Amino acid sequence: MTTALTLDGVRKLYGAKVAVDGVSLTLEAGKITCLLGPSGCGKSTLLRLIAGLEPLDGGSVATDKILSGPTFHAPPEQRDIGFVFQDYALFPHMSVEDNVAFGLKRLSPAERQKRALLQLQRVHLADRAKAFSQALSGGEQQRIALARALAREPALVLLDEPFSGLDAHLKAGVRDATLEALRQAGTAALIVTHDAEEALIMADHLALMDKGQILQTGTPQDCYRHPVSLAASRLLGPANPIAVVVAGGKADTGFGSLDAPGFADGPAMAIVRPEALTLTADGTPALVLANRFAGADSWITLRIGGLELEARMATRLSPVVGSQVLVCLDPSACSVTRA
Amino acid sequence: MTNLAVPRPHVRPAGPSALRIGAWLAAGLAILPLLAIVWLALTRPSATAMPLSLILQYGLTTAALGGLTAVAVTVLGTSAAWLVVMYRFPGRSLFSWALALPLAAPAFALAYGYADLLDVAGPIRTALRASFGSDFWPMEIRSLPGAAFILSMAFYPYVYLTARSAFISQSVCALEASRTLGSTPWETLTRVALPLARPAIIAGTALALMEVFADYGAVSFLGVQTLTTGVVRAWSVYGAPGSAARLSLLLLAVAAVLLWLERSGRQGQSFGANSARWRPLEPQPLQGWASWGASLFCLSLISFGLLIPAGWLAYRGLSAAPEADRLIQAAMTSFSLAGIGALVTVALASLIAFGAPHSHRIKGLASLGYATPGAVMAVGLLAPASLIWHGAGSGGSQTVALALGLLILAYAARLMASALGPIEAGLTRVTPSMDRASRTLGETETGTLRRVHVPIAKGALWTATLLIFVDVLKELPATLILRPFNFDTLAVLADRYASDERLAQAAWPTLLIVLTASLPIIILSRKIMQSRPGE
Repeated sequence: MTTALTLDGVRKLYGAKVAVDGVSLTLEAGKITCLLGPSGCGKSTLLRLIAGLEPLDGGSVATDKILSGPTFHAPPEQRDIGFVFQDYALFPHMSVEDNVAFGLKRLSPAERQKRALLQLQRVHLADRAKAFSQALSGGEQQRIALARALAREPALVLLDEPFSGLDAHLKAGVRDATLEALRQAGTAALIVTHDAEEALIMADHLALMDKGQILQTGTPQDCYRHPVSLAASRLLGPANPIAVVVAGGKADTGFGSLDAPGFADGPAMAIVRPEALTLTADGTPALVLANRFAGADSWITLRIGGLELEARMATRLSPVVGSQVLVCLDPSACSVTRA
Repeated sequence: MTNLAVPRPHVRPAGPSALRIGAWLAAGLAILPLLAIVWLALTRPSATAMPLSLILQYGLTTAALGGLTAVAVTVLGTSAAWLVVMYRFPGRSLFSWALALPLAAPAFALAYGYADLLDVAGPIRTALRASFGSDFWPMEIRSLPGAAFILSMAFYPYVYLTARSAFISQSVCALEASRTLGSTPWETLTRVALPLARPAIIAGTALALMEVFADYGAVSFLGVQTLTTGVVRAWSVYGAPGSAARLSLLLLAVAAVLLWLERSGRQGQSFGANSARWRPLEPQPLQGWASWGASLFCLSLISFGLLIPAGWLAYRGLSAAPEADRLIQAAMTSFSLAGIGALVTVALASLIAFGAPHSHRIKGLASLGYATPGAVMAVGLLAPASLIWHGAGSGGSQTVALALGLLILAYAARLMASALGPIEAGLTRVTPSMDRASRTLGETETGTLRRVHVPIAKGALWTATLLIFVDVLKELPATLILRPFNFDTLAVLADRYASDERLAQAAWPTLLIVLTASLPIIILSRKIMQSRPGE
């Protein structure tokens, strides 16, 4: 694998507040990495540090050369890193075509126009080349902003909450168009988002961030199935924490046993995803406390022994409130972490 | 999202940028004359000191003049704004911008017009005597109340403009809520609308007072001795820069207080507009005598503030042939000075707006220059000016160029802040991420300025240039003090004719200023009228 970007112990302070706290991360060339975290966790700040829009207070940012270090700061225009802003930041005094060509001033005018049109074709907006940004829909503006960032053929492009300004029914379409354009360009991308589903769908690699620190990195499947902590698991979706005791590489939840390879005997925590609880003919008895309809699936609150657990089941199979059911645990949607 | 959670940081790489250094330099230029004043006041002993009683008298006159004008401009400006915003009456849309027109006339134009019109030998009192045998005229115009009347008429538009924008930014919701809670329209005005607009009105009054205290042409012609005329006299009659500087210090203290009032007033302005559910006011039609009364009130403000004195001056001017050579020469001088002054001032203001967009300290320094009377600014530049005149030998073209440079610097130091306002308003269209987008697209800081900021703020830059052009055209005291020998602008020429009691001649340059300034003022005030909050 070739590396597009290496972050090593990156720190950023705002006064006494630590916004980014020792982040180390490697981005692979040509791959899409999603940086997922709650609001205010420092992920947008990290993006600005990578782009060189702000100096960092510690650590380093490097591509094949050092970009930011303790004594060195390459200005953003010399980094060859594209950036798609949350509010798109299209220049209102320029046409779509001129916006896309903005970063191409070293090319001849003819070449510049050719490249801008090619980029617009890639996002299927070549027919809007002469329009001004005020006349475009939100989805179109987002695609123009992407085309503008990709026009310089950067080795890495950063996208800050690229779909947060869009209506829900537009999101899926724009997201697919964005993925297609990124794959076509073959550039590495780092996408900041707080939407778990968006991250899981788009990412080749995930980086989970909270309180200025990276909690976990890996493929979406890896991070979802084997979270390193309850906090990491909850970034990707609801989870039921259950205190367990590990003995001989096994953790017993009381209604099913889970593998805990590599864990020493003693207390640990089982993380049970809602879809891990399924109805069966010969499982553990459970009382149905609540049933909330959510379309194809329903959210069921179950009491098993002394525990209240959230389950997610197909609506057509979901039990009525107050009934007694038998449930078992699907181990593939469970994992064990440190207590 | 995280953008909002973390305080939005500036887009700055490590170390101060060239632009930011430029911003500091520009602000430094604005306060350089003020520092020189302090130095002059402390170091120059005055052999021919002004008597203390005289200084005291100047101070008292200035205070009385300020008090009278403050009350008048506040009442007149606020009433006019309230009428135009809240009610429909004949001529309302015309008045809404025409009420700002007196800004086209320098205060001395009004002084010349009224002094001549209301003179004992003037047409009104002659006619009164012919009809009734006596003219029982209540008020001498060449007096403190007369000066207060003239300056109020000249400067009420400052309160009108700020009060108007404050009333417009008030949501109808607040006013309707007041009505549903049992308030009459009058109670709604006094209990809701005025308190909401009070910071803006105070800011407008402070601006008007800055102009009152800076005025030299009108008060000196009317024979009212203020601190500002004192500064000029200390320099020209007593030849004592030290005394002039010490008087200037007094004026500077007043200016600082006014500036503080204006700033705190402006900060409070926003609380009218940030209601989540803003709905525009729908003006109510006035009926019968009330509607004609409203029209008459607005018409008389414009008449007293511009039409009557300018009209009389035009009549007087046309009765005498102008001294064409001097007039043309002065016009050329004025226009080129105003043009160069405007460009330099806007360039320096742009440095501040682009280079230090979030620095209150830098803007505070620039505003201090604005609050400082032109005469004070000029005295602050006297020390370097006299060095040049004496050092380089008189009359050399280099000396003249250097002196003109100082004069331009005085204009820039005084007017930078007023150029800053429109430029900053124009720059609100540039979001922080546009800045960053340009940088990540390979553009340098100055390249971003050239390709993003300047094109987007182009309209605002023109507006600022026009504004400063008009202000330089009307400027008198600093020009009077700093100009090279025999270097007359239109304002200086008018002042010289007027002090020789050659009013018909003084009318010509004065009217040229008014006419030239009218066009930009009309353009600007119509533009202000069209802008609405939230756009």
